[in-house]
Amino acid sequence: MESLQKTKNRISSAKNINQITKAMELVAATKMRKSQAIALSSRAYAYAALDFLANLSKLEEAVLPPLLQKREIKKTAFVVVASDKGLAGSFNSSVFRTFEKYLVENKIDIFNDNYSFIAFGQKSANYLQRKKVKIANVFAKLGDFTQLSETRQLADFLSNGYLTKQWDRVLVFSMNFRTALRQEVLIRQILPVEFEVLKKTIKEIVPETGKFSELRENNNTSPSPSSTEEGRSRIIDYLVEPSPEIVLKELAPHLIEMQVYHIILEANASEHAARRMAMKNASDNAEKLVGDLTLIYNKSRQAAITREIIEITAGAEVL
Amino acid sequence: MKLSVYSLKKILYEGDAKSINCQTIGGEVTILDKHRPFVSTLKEGVIRILDGENKAHYVNAKSGFVEVMPTNEVRFIVEER
Repeated sequence: MESLQKTKNRISSAKNINQITKAMELVAATKMRKSQAIALSSRAYAYAALDFLANLSKLEEAVLPPLLQKREIKKTAFVVVASDKGLAGSFNSSVFRTFEKYLVENKIDIFNDNYSFIAFGQKSANYLQRKKVKIANVFAKLGDFTQLSETRQLADFLSNGYLTKQWDRVLVFSMNFRTALRQEVLIRQILPVEFEVLKKTIKEIVPETGKFSELRENNNTSPSPSSTEEGRSRIIDYLVEPSPEIVLKELAPHLIEMQVYHIILEANASEHAARRMAMKNASDNAEKLVGDLTLIYNKSRQAAITREIIEITAGAEVL
Repeated sequence: MKLSVYSLKKILYEGDAKSINCQTIGGEVTILDKHRPFVSTLKEGVIRILDGENKAHYVNAKSGFVEVMPTNEVRFIVEER
């Protein structure tokens, strides 16, 4: 049996760990709420922009700008979105696992020049470096809440690459926040722009259950007037200045920016949620450990006392 | 007319408006009640909103879009400066 002092030390360190992980759990929970709130505050803009695109694409004379045009897919860019910091349970590894699975299923040779890889988050950069692929760009060290100016850099980089024909398709691997307890990895195609994919991304901003989930009901039942039948039929009356082409050309980068922003915010919220769960498990474990150790401590203390009494009585008998 | 001004970060204005003045690519435009359906691209400038009580509100826009809907609703999506 271990010495009493040693057990005591172990109990106190387990208690310390428990305190720390509990604090981290609370911090992560607050951060999760905050990043959810940030994601939701941009929803109005997203819906307006979607409507706007829908209206414009209904115009017959509209010519799609290069960013919205589809072409034959030869080259693909992969964006792997992970966190900067660890201690988030299986958050990063599940993104990487999905990515690996996709590579195997589609028989992708990662060293082929037709594929580019972009890392978002320090962990993702480390992972891609370990795989020894050629990394086109790294976006890392962005803090807990990614700023619009930071996601804009990624959006611009992706759009530029698309326009200069570095890639014909962009796939994003990222965590999607479904509920506080459940996140899943989604593979989204953000370029070429598909209206349905765009719409889905925006719908997914609202979590399924828990706080903010009440908004999910509203967004299905209250579409703007222009998306109703009556609004559609009157679309021809629109006066578009200076021309639909120019407006669409201006709109396209904003759409991509918006989508990238949402994907990253979603990943942020998921990261905090995953960290909260990991920390909760850690503090539960620490608590259990403290209980077990206390039991051991008491048992050995009792054994020591019993031994001493035996020694004394034995000594008394000899006398 | 009903007016909403959205940016990616927040809702900048939502409510009634009497007149809206903004800088579009084609030049300065003032939108009054019951304007015909209209779509345009904004250029850098200030959007001036006159609400129901004749109080002026200003929004600083870097770029953005304006849409006047047939239902007498106006919607701006802007990038803030």
